[in-house]
Amino acid sequence: MTMYSRRWLTALFSVAAVLAVGCSSLKTPATADVAVSKAAVENAAGAGGVEYAPVEMTAAREKMVLANKAMADKDYKLAQELAAQAQADAKLAQSKANSTKAQAAADALQESIRVLRIELERNL
Amino acid sequence: MKNKALTATVLAVAALLAACGSTPKATTLLDQTRVEYRMAQTSPNVATYAPMEMKQASDAMAKAETAATDRESDADIDKLAYLARQKIALTQEVAKRKVAEAEVANAGKQRDQLMLDQRTNEANAAQIRADAAMQAAVVAQNNAANAKQQTALAQGAAADAQARNAQLEAQLADMAAKKTERGMVITMGDVLFGTDQASLTSNGMATAQKLATFLQNNPQRNVLVEGFADSTGASAYNQVLSERRAGAVQSALQGMGIAPNRVAMRGYGETFPVATNDTAQDRQLNRRVEIVLSDEAGRIMPR
Repeated sequence: MTMYSRRWLTALFSVAAVLAVGCSSLKTPATADVAVSKAAVENAAGAGGVEYAPVEMTAAREKMVLANKAMADKDYKLAQELAAQAQADAKLAQSKANSTKAQAAADALQESIRVLRIELERNL
Repeated sequence: MKNKALTATVLAVAALLAACGSTPKATTLLDQTRVEYRMAQTSPNVATYAPMEMKQASDAMAKAETAATDRESDADIDKLAYLARQKIALTQEVAKRKVAEAEVANAGKQRDQLMLDQRTNEANAAQIRADAAMQAAVVAQNNAANAKQQTALAQGAAADAQARNAQLEAQLADMAAKKTERGMVITMGDVLFGTDQASLTSNGMATAQKLATFLQNNPQRNVLVEGFADSTGASAYNQVLSERRAGAVQSALQGMGIAPNRVAMRGYGETFPVATNDTAQDRQLNRRVEIVLSDEAGRIMPR
């Protein structure tokens, strides 16, 4: 009975341990993630994100500050999460800046075409 | 003691199994993200222009859905949903950018074509203007040539007129013509007639010849021949004598080829003396024939 109980107990502990590991997050240092996100935020700012996508840029920068704080606190899981969000925000900001600029260029070109057409019709 | 430990372990396993259970959960953010995900999936622009970004968005969406299926905490699901949502938005922005860039490329071609058309138009307009200018120049040249010709003609005419005037004046001076209110008047004195006679002397004939030549050269001018006498003798006789003397000049001119209708004749007898009749010299001045030249239109002012 005692031997039997011991074996059961050991098996149950093992299952619990496996489940606990399986359902929890990894706790590896998020230094690389934070660095990549920092670069993404800088790129977005360089592309005019502050001007064209202020909401996303502000969110990205705030999350970078929090991510750095989490790194200092050694809360690597939180740091990794915040860095991932900041990166997504920064990429969106950069893309918004690029699409707005491209649209402005297209509009300017259309306007110049409109003016040209008017000029052409007047000259005919 | 052992039973207690067993019970606790079983409970822990049950709790963990429940946490990893299979009924999907839902959060507000996840629902919203699903809506936006479907919109991106059905967008042809996203499919055409942002397939790689869409793949990444799909992966992020799958992670969020897995978390929901695994019934993880709302906070954990929302973290994944947030990432998915930003990546979905990214696909739309990338698609928007590529559409705008395609529009720029297309519009650039369109604009080049229009500019080409514009330049063609300008060239045509310039050609038309050049042609018009050339025509205008030709017209101006013709006008100038015409004007020059006309000027030359006018100058020629003026020169002719001047020459004619000079000739006229010379001829008139030759006949001792005087300018009066009635026009040019040539006086043939008594000495050009025989005493008490109506026939012209040779000098008188010479004067008549000059007058005939003048009338031939100036066919638009006519003459009025007026005869006068002094007061010696009967006035009736003097009237006849004045008429005969004037008539003698008229006949002489006719004899020299001047048409009779160009030579009018009047006798005034002893009227209109130019001197007193008191001395022989004055009386000789009164015995005379005056020839009045008409103007260019042939008119003569009556006395």
